[in-house]
Amino acid sequence: MKQEFLLGNGAIALGLLEAGCQIMTSYPGTPSSEILPEVVRFSKAASLNTSIEWSVNEKVAFDNAFAAAISGKRAACCMKMVGLNVAADSFMSSAYIGNIGGLVIISCDDPGPHSSQTEQDSRLMARLAKVPVLDPGSPEEAREMIKFAFDLSEEFQVPVLVRPAIRICHARQNIKYGVLENNLTQADFKREPTRWASTPKFRFVQHKALNEKHLKISERFNSLSPFNMHTLEKGKSYPFGIVTAGVPSSVVQDMFEEYKRAEIPVLKLGAPYPFPEKLADEFMDACDKVLVIEETDTVIEYMLRDKHKTLGRLTGHVPMEGELVPEKIEGILNKALLDCKLSALSDFDCGQQAFELVGGLSLPIRKPTLCPGCPHRASFYSIRKALPKAIFPSDIGCYTLGSNLGVVDTVLDMGAGITMASGFWNAYIQDGIKKSIVATMGDSTFFHSGTTGLINAVYNNSRFILVILDNHITAMTGMQPSITQSDRVDGSKGNAIALETIVKGCGVDYIKVVDPFDTKNMIQTVKDAAQYVDDPDGGIAVIISRHPCVIGFRDLAIPEKIKVYISDECNDCGFCLTRFECPALYRDKETEKTRINEVLCVECGVCLQICPQDAIKRV
Amino acid sequence: MKTTNYVLTGLGGQGILFMTKILATTALNKGYNILGAETHGMAQRGGSVVSHLRIGDARSSLIRAGAADFLLSMDESEAYRYLPYLKKGGKLFANASSKLFPDKRVAAYLEKNKIKSMAMEASGKAMELGSPKSTNLAMVAFYAAFGYGPLKADDLRATVDDMSPGPFKEKNLRIFDLCYETGRQMV
Repeated sequence: MKQEFLLGNGAIALGLLEAGCQIMTSYPGTPSSEILPEVVRFSKAASLNTSIEWSVNEKVAFDNAFAAAISGKRAACCMKMVGLNVAADSFMSSAYIGNIGGLVIISCDDPGPHSSQTEQDSRLMARLAKVPVLDPGSPEEAREMIKFAFDLSEEFQVPVLVRPAIRICHARQNIKYGVLENNLTQADFKREPTRWASTPKFRFVQHKALNEKHLKISERFNSLSPFNMHTLEKGKSYPFGIVTAGVPSSVVQDMFEEYKRAEIPVLKLGAPYPFPEKLADEFMDACDKVLVIEETDTVIEYMLRDKHKTLGRLTGHVPMEGELVPEKIEGILNKALLDCKLSALSDFDCGQQAFELVGGLSLPIRKPTLCPGCPHRASFYSIRKALPKAIFPSDIGCYTLGSNLGVVDTVLDMGAGITMASGFWNAYIQDGIKKSIVATMGDSTFFHSGTTGLINAVYNNSRFILVILDNHITAMTGMQPSITQSDRVDGSKGNAIALETIVKGCGVDYIKVVDPFDTKNMIQTVKDAAQYVDDPDGGIAVIISRHPCVIGFRDLAIPEKIKVYISDECNDCGFCLTRFECPALYRDKETEKTRINEVLCVECGVCLQICPQDAIKRV
Repeated sequence: MKTTNYVLTGLGGQGILFMTKILATTALNKGYNILGAETHGMAQRGGSVVSHLRIGDARSSLIRAGAADFLLSMDESEAYRYLPYLKKGGKLFANASSKLFPDKRVAAYLEKNKIKSMAMEASGKAMELGSPKSTNLAMVAFYAAFGYGPLKADDLRATVDDMSPGPFKEKNLRIFDLCYETGRQMV
């Protein structure tokens, strides 16, 4: 047996391979991104022949895995929860149609949110799609649930969703594991058009069959210890009990142990849907009141269906938004216990006094910023310089941080940089106004969901500038390869696809490629593009702003180190701090002078080009 | 065993995750169970980074406010920011001037909650020794000098020895030893 202090995403990867998962697809997104690379690592170390790919987007990943599963193989796809929205169309149909080999979808939730647009609860998506769902409480449990999910999926021929929250994905735990072996199941797709390509009439039949499966799975979930279990003593009744699941279930169990409150019964529902009715009834019958602590929505709370007994979000005991961090859970428990005339766990104020003290210290606000030497910073600087009054629809990626630089006005979802640019154009042109619009989008996002919007914009005569920020990598989620490069996740080579050919293929005639580190040239290019957009014979202009990511490709990104200093000519106007916002530039607290932090500076030299006084000089 | 809770903090790029790894590996070598919680993704970019490490048989990875035994901070402001996590009687180790730390407003809180604070200019030490990126090692050694908790100085040093790649081994151990000595003189 080996032992590792493994990331939760590593434990999930291990569970996938232990279950004999043969096909694995994904699109990166925090907190799911490390699962696929960990599958690669374990698969390589054990010389397995697992098929592993970064797909172009989550829908593509899902469909790939689905086809493998209906060919009899065990397949999985993983994504962050908003990625499941992208795959939703396929996901909704998949439970009706069902599968042959096990099909497991891993959708990682981000209560907080820490690195996402929403706090949506994937268990609700599972309900909508009528897909059974599992909600792990620790990395080790996630690993076990993945294995169970494959068995369940095969037995009932239905996909199964596992939704680890961020505190599972980015937790670490010491985990032991043994030898991994290849699953030798061969692909064997059996034609059955009434099932795999069924018409609405047969969909009704499939829906009915699915509902029957659900009754059986619900029955199974009634006795699924340790995923589903309660701590009731037979025949005993209780004034108060806790219903919990996932990450909060571990916090509650730890807390009851610490405060020695084993007399409070707990119902844990790690497999909440299809709802284990009997198990829940036993618990509800034995307790006068129950408090539901789940993340992030009211899934179990609604399914309990007893509003006279149930405390939770709907009674205001649990906040409707935000992560249920342990101190918050302690406060929730204390209040609910007191409301039920029982003694609280503690008289702890949940750190309130201390947080207030800290709040009064005016500590530096550390908002996320683009890295020193980031090419996006240079692009944003030039775009604003060229067209300060434009509307700037943008997108999801590191470059969302361009909002700090005043060059990101909107972020809706992947692809909306382009589609919203069309929408803004339409809204203004209706009033006879040719509004200047500059959309920004990264290379990976463009492949993920940019092309459809661009084709639509060309077809419908929209006019705007699109700047594709091509840094050759999917940076924000941890440096996954981009399609503009030929590298695949397992180190093998694929076929790189040039952005220019795709953009041209979408019907765009005006395509310019620039290096954003040359700000003068880029400013002029944006101005020229604006003229083309404005010209009656013009159209959509695309600028590919191409420079490698400074973290992913340090040497390529900084081919020549340019050391700079701030000369006496600096009048501390603060332009470089606000409009360029490089973390290596700062204002000294004591002298009030602008300075360079040499530890952070990567010597890209771009700041030489932006100082209005020319006070930043080359050493 | 009783769970021991460490909150480790600093700024993105200071090597918080490596620091966590040193403590975790030492605990693992001792046969303890461990759980940790990390910051990834957008929150990591230039922001305040925090890592939780629990040694013992806990189920949940996050340490709750008021429950940390130790707070090790590689930045003075971040030490204050995460202060609410320390329990009564907890210990605070900060990369800050031993003369000026802690801030007056904080000192009263520490005293009231019987929190002992220890400060060393770890980045200064690391810089002096020609390795500004080793502030994390300096802080581990400084913590080790006081002998609190289940992780002992010799074991921590052995982990640093194991985990340092060849060309850095000598320098890393030198930083460890010097900062350990600095700490010992304050005990």
